[in-house]
Amino acid sequence: MTSEAFPTVFVVDDDRGMRQAIQDLVESVGLRAESFASAEEFLRKKHNTRPSCLVLDVRLPQMSGLDFQRRLVEKGIEIPVIFITAHGDIPMSVRALKSGAVEFLTKPFRDQDLLDAVQQALQRDRTAHEQQADIRDLQERYRALTAREQEVMTLVVSGMLNKQIASEIGASEATVKVHRGHVMHKMQAASVVDLVRMADKLELSPRK
Amino acid sequence: MAKQDVQKTLAELSRELQESKARLEEAQRVAHVGHWEWDLATDVVVWSDETYRIFGLSPQERPMDLATVHSMVQPEDRELIYRAAEEALQSGNPADIEHRLVRPDGEVRTIHSVGTVKRDSSGRAYEMFGTVQDITERKRSEEALKRSQFYLSEGQRIAHIGSWAFDDSGHYWSDELYKIYGLDPRNGAPTVDEYLALIHPQDRAAMVETIRAMQEEHRGFDQIERIIRPDGQMRYIRAVAVPVMEEGVFKGFIGTTMDVTEQELLTQELRREQAYLAEAQSLSHIGSWATNFHTRQNFHLSDETYRIHGFDPRQGPPGLERFWATLHPQDERLVRETLEEAVRAGMDYDISDFRIRRADDGQIRFLRTIGHRNDMGEIGDYVGITMDITELKRAEEERERLRQLEADLAHINRVNMMGELAAALAHEIRQPIAASITSANACLRWLARDPPDLERARAAASRIEQDGNRAADVISRLRSFYKKGTPPEREIVNLKDIIREMTTLLRKEAIRHSIKIHSELGEDMPDVLADRVQLQQVFMNLMLNAIDAMKEIGGKLTIGSRLASDGQVMVSIGDTGVGLPAENTERIFDAFHTTKPQGTGMGLAITRSIVEAHGGRVWATANAGAGATFHFTLPAKAEEHA
Repeated sequence: MTSEAFPTVFVVDDDRGMRQAIQDLVESVGLRAESFASAEEFLRKKHNTRPSCLVLDVRLPQMSGLDFQRRLVEKGIEIPVIFITAHGDIPMSVRALKSGAVEFLTKPFRDQDLLDAVQQALQRDRTAHEQQADIRDLQERYRALTAREQEVMTLVVSGMLNKQIASEIGASEATVKVHRGHVMHKMQAASVVDLVRMADKLELSPRK
Repeated sequence: MAKQDVQKTLAELSRELQESKARLEEAQRVAHVGHWEWDLATDVVVWSDETYRIFGLSPQERPMDLATVHSMVQPEDRELIYRAAEEALQSGNPADIEHRLVRPDGEVRTIHSVGTVKRDSSGRAYEMFGTVQDITERKRSEEALKRSQFYLSEGQRIAHIGSWAFDDSGHYWSDELYKIYGLDPRNGAPTVDEYLALIHPQDRAAMVETIRAMQEEHRGFDQIERIIRPDGQMRYIRAVAVPVMEEGVFKGFIGTTMDVTEQELLTQELRREQAYLAEAQSLSHIGSWATNFHTRQNFHLSDETYRIHGFDPRQGPPGLERFWATLHPQDERLVRETLEEAVRAGMDYDISDFRIRRADDGQIRFLRTIGHRNDMGEIGDYVGITMDITELKRAEEERERLRQLEADLAHINRVNMMGELAAALAHEIRQPIAASITSANACLRWLARDPPDLERARAAASRIEQDGNRAADVISRLRSFYKKGTPPEREIVNLKDIIREMTTLLRKEAIRHSIKIHSELGEDMPDVLADRVQLQQVFMNLMLNAIDAMKEIGGKLTIGSRLASDGQVMVSIGDTGVGLPAENTERIFDAFHTTKPQGTGMGLAITRSIVEAHGGRVWATANAGAGATFHFTLPAKAEEHA
């Protein structure tokens, strides 16, 4: 986890002075920062640095900040966004926050407000990153199950007894027990409750 | 019988014979008739005294013979005489001829000669006896009459004039008259009914009446009527009839008839041309005239010239002095001097803009007059035109006023744009200020480090300087923009005028949103001393606000003006729209305060600053019903001077 050592703040603002000031402020608290003059410039960059966040001027030339946010979602780039604006009004900020913005700041802003927002955003990204890593781990374990084991797991988490499962899949109760033991082991589930929680995260639809 | 008696008788007889011969000669002399005898056997000719005289000789001057007679006859007529004599001798009928002779003094006379042949008992011709009569004078008058008749008929033919007479002895038509009516002279003069059939149906009733008056009242006439000739051609004729009276007794009529078709058509053409010209003059308000400025006489004024000056055409051209009298006192000198100078120099002139007080209704009219010296006329003769340019001038003034209004509107738009611009500039100023604040924060943080990072702190500080300068630049740009705006100019402004102009300008916008504009303007409102353009902007802002407030629902915009109790002029602009925000009504006049998605928040702020700069006040009240009313006061002009 080398990236964790360098959380990065991306700054997109068409105003050079503003862009440099924000980058400098972020760097003054020991964070990495990269700045871009336009949304296109930012989108061209590869995004693998985690955790990170984006400080975005709403009134960009060519593309408004809110459109830009939509583009990010479309491209599958998940990054917390902090909006800054020289001329924002209430409806605009509400829209921004509803679409997932961390914070909406009006220029000039208090430095601490921006830094707090940056920390909050990075934390949110970190959490999201961890959650995504968990799910990826579970998915790997789930994929390691045989087809029959996956079928049994689905039936177990829907609350069926071994006997019912046996009649459902046309096997003996003893065979079901063996499958169930493999599922619990492979999924590293401590209990049935644990397994149900995992199924939830994997978004398996329980058998009705 | 005694010899003495015989002698006496012979003497008496001889005397009687002498007397008888003398009487014959006397009779011949008086009647201008002579006689001659020609002895066929000897060719001796005996003439009477009168015959000698007729031939230009003294009576019995010398004996006559045939050769002498022959030599005195005009050579061309000699053959004629012989032939007549031979014929008479052969046939026994008397010879009867006219021939000419040449007197010894060379004078040619025409004579009428008659001769009879005498024969003896055996029937042998032995003598011719005859008479001669000088008919020169009769011949001449006959020829003169013939000539004059020829001239008369030729004259009638050339002049297209026919003549006629009507009396007890009958009805006479001249040849030309037949020709005029297209009739055949061989058929004789037409009857009354035949004549009436020739008259154009539209003129026939009048002709019937004319004939009745001729017959019953012996009244003459002089009239132009139309006839249709038998060949179908229509002609105009002028017929004149005069009754003939002899010693107070009516004898009949004589008259002339003239074909006036060509003149009549020309006259009609001329009348039409004149009518067109008059129409053109009346349409273009241009009159024409001809005047002599030396004799101060107007020869000709077209109807339009009379109308332009308000003179009565029925009274004829008025003298020049009456023209001078209509001149506007302020323009009289200019007109008279320009004109008199031009006339003195014999030059054309063009006085392009002067006023008169029209003679009939006293209206002030603007005229232009152009005079051209008439080179063919007397000294001082001018022809020219006069135009009434009043309407033209009014249209021009109206155009100029509209142009001014448009220019004003353009300026208002610019001033309005300043509000937008201020908002845009606010963004531009905010940017460097925000940047410098952030840089300052960063700078402080670099310094607060342990150890302080002076290099980064210095870099941040230099950015602060750059951003500070950037903000200053924006502000100076803003200031230079404001400087370009016109400095406030105070002038006397009539509020009603401004309200009318603004209503005109915004009417379309109002109609588009189903909004009625209604004015309740107080009577006798004093003028105000104000910057006209700024005041227009105040009205524009408040009226546009009112329209905005009613955009979705329509409604009524009311502009009222009245004199407030403190002597100030108060204007109220009310709407029936969404009304005022519930709280902080005062704040709506603050800069950047807006409730509209597209608003800049500058309109009311600018309105307030303009009104207050003029020494007035602006405020808003909620209406009892729907909507809001904005009021502002302005000091009246009189108060300003007090």
